[in-house]
This record gives sequence, C-alpha cells and structure tokens, in this order.
Amino acid sequence: MQLAVNILVLGSIYALIACGYVLIYRVSRVLNLAHGELMMLGAYLVLATASLFNGHPRMALAAAVLLSLLTGGLVYIFLMRKMTGEMVLAAILTTVALGILVRGIVILIWSAQQQYPAQALGVSNPSLVLFGGARISLWSAVLVATTFVVYGALFVFLRFGRWGMRMRAAGQNPLLAAQRGINLHGVYALAWSLSTLTGALAGILMALDSGLTGSMPVIGLKAFPAALVGGLDSFAGALIGALIVAGAEVLLIYYVDPLLSDVVPFLVLIAILIVRPWGLFGTREELDRV
Amino acid sequence: MINRFLLGGLTVCAIALPAAAQDAYLVGVTAALTGPPASTYAPAVDALRIYIDRVNAAGGVNGKQIKLMIEDDGAQPSKAAANTKKLITQDNVVLMVNASLSSTYAPVIAESKSANVPLLFASGVCPQSVYPPADPLQFCTTGYASQFDSRATLDFVKATAKGPIKMGFSAMAIPLSRGEMDYAMELSKKMDIDPVGQEIIPPSTADYTPFATKLKDAGPNWVYSWAPWVTQVRTLEALRKLGWQDDYIAWGHLEAEAELARLKDGKFYVVNSNALFQEKQPIHQEIEAAASKASSKFPAQTMTEGWIGGMAIEAALKGAGWPADPAKLRAAMENLKIDTKGLRGGPIEWTKNNHFRTRLYYRIYKWDGDKIARVQDWKTYEVK
Repeated sequence: MQLAVNILVLGSIYALIACGYVLIYRVSRVLNLAHGELMMLGAYLVLATASLFNGHPRMALAAAVLLSLLTGGLVYIFLMRKMTGEMVLAAILTTVALGILVRGIVILIWSAQQQYPAQALGVSNPSLVLFGGARISLWSAVLVATTFVVYGALFVFLRFGRWGMRMRAAGQNPLLAAQRGINLHGVYALAWSLSTLTGALAGILMALDSGLTGSMPVIGLKAFPAALVGGLDSFAGALIGALIVAGAEVLLIYYVDPLLSDVVPFLVLIAILIVRPWGLFGTREELDRV
Repeated sequence: MINRFLLGGLTVCAIALPAAAQDAYLVGVTAALTGPPASTYAPAVDALRIYIDRVNAAGGVNGKQIKLMIEDDGAQPSKAAANTKKLITQDNVVLMVNASLSSTYAPVIAESKSANVPLLFASGVCPQSVYPPADPLQFCTTGYASQFDSRATLDFVKATAKGPIKMGFSAMAIPLSRGEMDYAMELSKKMDIDPVGQEIIPPSTADYTPFATKLKDAGPNWVYSWAPWVTQVRTLEALRKLGWQDDYIAWGHLEAEAELARLKDGKFYVVNSNALFQEKQPIHQEIEAAASKASSKFPAQTMTEGWIGGMAIEAALKGAGWPADPAKLRAAMENLKIDTKGLRGGPIEWTKNNHFRTRLYYRIYKWDGDKIARVQDWKTYEVK
C-alpha cells in the first residue's frame, strides 16, 4: 500500500511539473527549458511573502502564487515576445539563458543554503495515516489534491473557457487564429503565466514538504520525460506519462536498485520513443513540427 | 603620434599589472557555490573570504596581502578541473583550495600534481591521500574524515544502544559517501552490529519517501548516514513521515546546529568535530561579529570549517615567507601546527607524513527537550 502512495505522490509531482511544459508547447511550440528554474523561483517567493505577511501563511501562499502568475506573464512580455516569429530553436535557447539567469538571481538573493518555507510560514507537516497502514505527509497529500484540481481546471478551461478555446486555436493554427482576431500575444502571455503558476505550485508544495535548495531545477528536468512519454501536446498524456515514470521509478527503487532512480525516467522515455515517437497520447503531426 | 603614445602606455600597463598582482599571495579556490550540495560549501567559502579579508585588513601576512581567487564549480568534476587549470596556469596561484564535492577531487588532484602546486581540502571531506603516509601535495583541515567518523559513530552507538543493534545506512550517490557506508557496514559486522540495509540516494531527488520506505522495511532500530546534509536530513524526515521512530545518527555538518533546533527530534544525534556555537566561546563570538560586520548571507554557525581553512592558509603563508612559491609553501605546510582556539577539541598538526592531523576529537550532540545537549564530550582518536 505504501508503494502505491509513493507512486501517487511522485507521479503527482511529475504531472504538476509536466503540465507546465505541455501548456507552453501546445500553444507556442516552444520547449521551456527554464521551467524547473521558474518552479524553484515560485518556491523561493514563498520565503519573501512569508516575511511580508508574517503570521498569515494563507495570505503569504496566495501572494506567492499570484507573483508566480505575474512572473510568467512578465517573462513573456519582456523576453519571449521578442522571439515571436523567430526560429523555435532561438526561443528554446532563450529559455536556457533565462534558466541560468533565474538560478543566479536566486543564489544572489537567498544564498545556496537549504531553506524551509514551512518554517518561515509557521506551518507544520504532520504524517497522515491512510487505510492499509500507509502514510503520507500533509503537504504531499495537498500536492496530490492540487494536481488533480489543476488538471481538472485546465480541462474545463481549455474545453469551455473563452480564452481556453483561443489558446487551442492559437496552438492549432496561429495564422488563422490571428486572422480571426485572436490576440496571440495575450494568449501566449496567458500560457506562460499558467505554466509558471503550475510549476510554482509544484515547487512550493515540494518545498513545504521537504525544504528548498538551489538544485530544484534538476527535478524539473526529471519531469520532462513524463511529458514526452505522454505526448508533448496532451495533458492526459502528461498525467499518465507521469504515473508511468513514477511507477517505474518507485518499483525499481524498492525491488531492484535505488541507484536506478536517476535514469528510470529516461529509460522509460527511450522505450516509448522506440515504439511510439510522438508519445502515448501525442499527435503524429506534432512530431513533424518538433 | 597619439597612437604611439597610447600604445606605449598600454604596453607599460600590460607589464605593470601582472607585477602588481604578484605583490600578493595568490590562492585559488574551486568551490561548489551552486549545485545540490552548495548549502554545505558556500558558507564555508564565505567564511574563508571573511577570514582572509580580516587578515588583509590587519596588514596581511609577512606584510603582503592574500588574494583569494574563487571559482564556482557547481560540484561538477569537469568545471572543477577547468577552474583548477585556469587558476594554476593563468593566475599562477601558489596554493589551490578545494571546497567541493568528493566527485571533483580526482581532476583537481591531477591538475595540482601536474603543476606541483599544493592542494588544501577545506570544508570538503578529507581524502585518504592526506592520511599517513600522506601524498606530498595534499593537505586537509575539514572536520569530517572517512573511516574515522564511522569508527567514532559506531563506537558511540555501541556504547549507547540498549539491546541488539540493527543498523540501516543511508548514503548519497557520490563516491566517498558510498565508500564510507560500505566501510561502516563492514566495520559494524566486526562490532557485533547487524547491518540490515543500505540506501544510496541520488543528489537530486524529488521525494525521499520511496528510499525511506525500503530502508524502514529492512527493520533497523538505528540508521546511520554519512552524506551531504541534504541527504542526511531528508532521509530522516522521510523516515519520520513513515512512522519510523528509532534512533538516527548522522554527521554534524555546518547546518547541524540550526537543524537540531528546527527538528527538535530527541532521537536524532549528530557527530561533530567542531564545537557548536551554543558553547559561546570567545572564538564563536569573534566569528559572529565578523560575519555580521561583513553582512554575510550565511549564519555564523555555518562558518567554522571556512574559518579553520583560513587559519591554515594564514599559518602556511606565514611559514613560507615572502616571496612564496609552491615548493616553499609545501615545505611550510609539512610542519605546521594550527591553533583552532577551541573550534576543535585540539590543534591541527601536519607533519611530513601526516597531512590530516595527529589527533581527532569528536563530540556528539542531540536535541534534549528545549535545547541542544552534549551527549558525549570530546573523545580522542590517534591518527597513525
């Protein structure tokens, strides 16, 4: 039972991160390689808001989430907007540079020390006992719930929301969408905001659970195979890909060798790419675009 | 005419600038200022910088300033090798300092050997090559040392535990941490301690619970971890989340003092070779004042290793005289006694054969109700 809980928690971490990759890719074809760094920045923002709203953890968390949303929009407006119309590769390289910049800023402001946002907020992280004797920490449980809420909300937003439909249209045919009067810059800015928000939620909840260091972006990269396994343009694929990668990782740690955990996501990715290069739920057409 | 004048001026500057730079002791540092284990090394390097700045402000060593040239290697071996090559061949440093993960040691040692420049390990674990018979070029001030730490830890566990001991081990997936846990497992068998499991955890892990689950299911009543702090403490926290309530012992890195107070876990022991700041010795107050004056981002409690590294560099340069070259410095370092002023249980002594120390001192602390308590005072181990 504990193994199932472990898979669910790790899968939720990967899924929450992976949906940020998918959001931006679906809309603009750009692979955001700074997603891990933006996720980390969101977690560090909690430290800033915790001191600003001392004694009000909910307000501090809400402020950090809103700041993350704003950060994503600003990244688009001041950086990625300039890449519109340029080669996709140039935009991807810009995200690499952005990642380096964010890592440097974080070290300069908060230093390389291990930080504990939960301590800064004054909140605890008790262990909850589930059926079958399995245990989960409070913030891990919140992370699992958040992942399902985020995916549900994205489904509703993209299927029924006005801006969601515009995002889908822009993703399918930007030229036609623009000719129909859709504000492409607005759509792209929204995609960057939402992507940064989901990444920040993952970063914040992981940091509340087990602390925060400058190495968090590496975890962001480990979630990337989950998005590729599911198919880069599919949210359902990201969710299922994350569970497959997490399942393989947790089971191999337990039954084979813990050292395999670092390579498992990439082994699963290679296996899927051999059989189905566009991912489990991705579209073949998208592969050509990559 | 003007062009010739400018060209002449630039030539004079080009000749004069390196000469001016040579008017100081040049010390190169490659350090993990970023990357997964940076929380252990960055404060030490900041302390080293603050210490050297104080020495320079007080007139330097032998009337000369010390110039620290610090390069970040992100705990990556390739970057550490490039840093060392640059510092030795381009900047002509007389001493190299490594303050990084053990995986960077091999390339840094190779570069230092090829140029015959002495290498000081300060805040990174002491490699076996500084133990007797020591490599002529390598020296170490760091408080933690492979094999000796495990010996001291298992001696304490054996003396403290009531009843049979089933021990689990937790390491980070880096060479020295893994090697140390292998050594500790072998040693535990000789000490009538039953090793029941070992977890080797990669540096960047999203969730430690899957590793802790396997460790817990092995059924230990003690767990020992000798790894960078992040691995030690996250393994402990993951075990506690899973409901494991037995004793956990780990190496007391720079973060230990603040972390004991954060965790308030009465069954979490840390093995230390540095006195904690709660001892409030004059040297601790001196470090606190210096850190505050320098507006360091790091708490003073995390600065002991870097401070001791600074003490060693100052003493070594003093012994080498001026002008110093790597050979003179090495000769000075081979016969050095560094007074740690109470930061350790005794002085650090280097001899021709022993570039580690002749005696090791260990204290053990844990959280006790509302404060950190010493559960074992300085225990001495001879290094032969």
